[in-house]
Amino acid sequence: MKLRRLILLGAAFLLVIFKFALDVVEKNVELDLMGFGLIRELLVIASLSLLYFVIDALASRRESTPLRKLGFVLIAMCAMILVSIGLSVSGVGGFDTKNQALVPLDYPSIFLASLAAVAFGIFSIVVFRLLRDLILINRKPAARRNWLIFSALLLGTSLSCLTSRPLDSSVATAILFSFSILFAVMNSFRLPWIVYLTKREKLFSLACGFFLFGGFTALAVQIGTSSLLRKSLLYYSHPLFQFTQLVAIFGALYAGMAFVSTLFHLPTAEAFDRKRSEVSSLHTLSKLVTQVFDFNELVDNVTSMTLQVVGASSCWLEIITAAPAEDGAGASDDGSYAVHVAAMKNIAQEEIDMLVSAERRGIRDTVVNERKAIVVDDIEHDARFVHLKKRRGVAGSLVVVPLVAHTGLAGILYATKKESFGFVRDDVDAISAFADQATVAIENSRLIRESLEKERLYREMLVAQEMQKRLLPQHVPSAPTIDLDAMSTPAFEVGGDYYDFMELGEGRIGIAVGDVSGKGVSAAFYMSEMKGIFQALGRICGSPKEFMVKANEALADSIDKHSFVSLIYAILDSRSGRLTVARAGHCPMLHISGETVAYVRPNGLGMGLSRGQTFDDAIQEEVITLVAGDVCVLYTDGVTEARCGDDEFGYERLMEAARGAREKTAAGIKVEILETVSRFTEQRANDDDLTLVVLKWNGAERRP
Amino acid sequence: MSEFKIGQREAENVSILELKGYLDAHTAPKLEEAFQGLLKSQRYRIVVNCRDLSYISSAGLGVFMAFIEDVRNNKGDIKLTNMSPKVYNVFDLLGFPLLYEIFKEEKEAVTRFFDRTK
Repeated sequence: MKLRRLILLGAAFLLVIFKFALDVVEKNVELDLMGFGLIRELLVIASLSLLYFVIDALASRRESTPLRKLGFVLIAMCAMILVSIGLSVSGVGGFDTKNQALVPLDYPSIFLASLAAVAFGIFSIVVFRLLRDLILINRKPAARRNWLIFSALLLGTSLSCLTSRPLDSSVATAILFSFSILFAVMNSFRLPWIVYLTKREKLFSLACGFFLFGGFTALAVQIGTSSLLRKSLLYYSHPLFQFTQLVAIFGALYAGMAFVSTLFHLPTAEAFDRKRSEVSSLHTLSKLVTQVFDFNELVDNVTSMTLQVVGASSCWLEIITAAPAEDGAGASDDGSYAVHVAAMKNIAQEEIDMLVSAERRGIRDTVVNERKAIVVDDIEHDARFVHLKKRRGVAGSLVVVPLVAHTGLAGILYATKKESFGFVRDDVDAISAFADQATVAIENSRLIRESLEKERLYREMLVAQEMQKRLLPQHVPSAPTIDLDAMSTPAFEVGGDYYDFMELGEGRIGIAVGDVSGKGVSAAFYMSEMKGIFQALGRICGSPKEFMVKANEALADSIDKHSFVSLIYAILDSRSGRLTVARAGHCPMLHISGETVAYVRPNGLGMGLSRGQTFDDAIQEEVITLVAGDVCVLYTDGVTEARCGDDEFGYERLMEAARGAREKTAAGIKVEILETVSRFTEQRANDDDLTLVVLKWNGAERRP
Repeated sequence: MSEFKIGQREAENVSILELKGYLDAHTAPKLEEAFQGLLKSQRYRIVVNCRDLSYISSAGLGVFMAFIEDVRNNKGDIKLTNMSPKVYNVFDLLGFPLLYEIFKEEKEAVTRFFDRTK
């Protein structure tokens, strides 16, 4: 690439030398040939075209800001002025006019004219190329079209005098020239880059515009009037003369427009700068909100950006910890709330406390209740700040913006300025925008905290679930005469259902199934208490009734008023098949004996409902003697109250299911009942804890 | 699905609560509120009409237990009436008839308050 450019440059240089040689030859040998002039012009065009490619490649090689480009234009222009000054002080002979042609008076004139013309050519191309970039900065189709037309006209004007003598002027050239000027004017309105400059850059652009306008105007006048420069350019090449002249005029026009336009943009420059920093701050902030989960870092950013963008002298952000009730809009009678400062800038906690009184009807209360931004223009003379009378100069003006989240008020953002009437509407809007971002951040961090907490609770519940599973018997007692199976599933992670077995000695086995009122954690606690009571009292109580009475006493002290435990307790003599059942408010036991199916329902009262005699009198025992093949089903209301729409599984269906499966093993009967329940509820998750204990009697031991 | 409503009216200085729908752990607080309201205005003669009560869970039963002591300490009572057989069965299983007076008709329960005072 570099090599190619060097070759191009070298070729251009050779062509220039060759052209110079021809000029020298022409001075000595008076050849007034048409063809000779044309060859000279073609050499010029060829060399400049090569130079254009080199410049174009250099210009498009790197991205550059509009202002840098403007700076380069200025440098190119200065160079042209220096060349022009150099030429005028060189003291060369100059040119003589003869038959519409220019005749150099001496060799230095030829040399200097060539040098100046080539320099002007190069710098004109540079200026042309740079202005093109500035005009086409946002590549609108219209801009592109106008520029192409202007370029074409420029080229056309230049080439139209390819064959004319230096001082000839044709009508075509004149027409093309005027159109070129027209389009130069049109293109000079393309100044899209000015808007985006900062104030400082605008000042630079203003200065540039001024000097460029002056410089290009001077050049255009120099080229246009009969100076040595004009003659030199015309002598060297008529098309080149036209080209440089038009570029100088265009440069003057564009610089003038740039100057005027910048001047008009100057008053709004500050506002524009602010808006821009506002937008970029908000952009940064919203990125932070999604990326940074460190709450403190976020609120710190919010306050520092507020400070920066609106030029506040201090800023702080308060978080509301206990928001007033959502419903009563503005009328929070007992809507107490607490605040804590999450971030502060240029202000101390004491100053905050002093400025924003915590009393009722203070500025904070107003914002909390009305949820609207408040602007205090003049703190010193504001009725709400009478408490500050003695301490002047804390702040002149204050903006208070609530952070309104959809779950309620999240916090308050404050900004102060030293001077009174310091905040304009834009400031308040900007602070509100920051407040919105802060709200999102606060909400986010709250949600994250909540989900972490949820996660923790969930794990706790899993632990509790595991613990509760261990509270249930790990294996069922076995005896040759019985077949026993059991299961229990809580509706949630933990539940209030309970079953237990106990070998009481002499072949006696205790079977208990219970249900604590309510569900979930509270039920689970009572369930574990029940386990403790059963393990403690079961062994020392000879009969189910005795156990019930003692268990009720033990439970009554710890159970709360509206909770109770229902329990069914059966003691089986595994040698004789004698089954003694007592029921403390629990579902009756299902007894299947051959074709006879019956619920065994001795009288009783739920444990924890009443203590003392009422309870003791209520509990009765029922004794049945099992015969081989008998099945007993103990269960909780999760079975009978399993729902399908408005319908309950009920006692009838339980009876039928158990009767149908009575020939199976205890495990088989259990599975059959569960499947029937599951079919009935259409596989929906059970909404109550469900427990099932199945006892099958194989027949009394035959003693030898 | 689990809709629960409470109607309240007065008859001869007895407060009557009419329960409708499902009384379970979710809806129990509504009944608790109603009882609290009655106790706050010192109305201790309470009849709960269960005609439209379609389901009651253990949490629902617990509500009655939570207030009965307070009510009786103030020489009042909670009497239950018009239960469907299904609902009665739930009360009966737990042994509630031992603790509460349960009537077929609301009127019986109301007049019962006056039998006692005589």
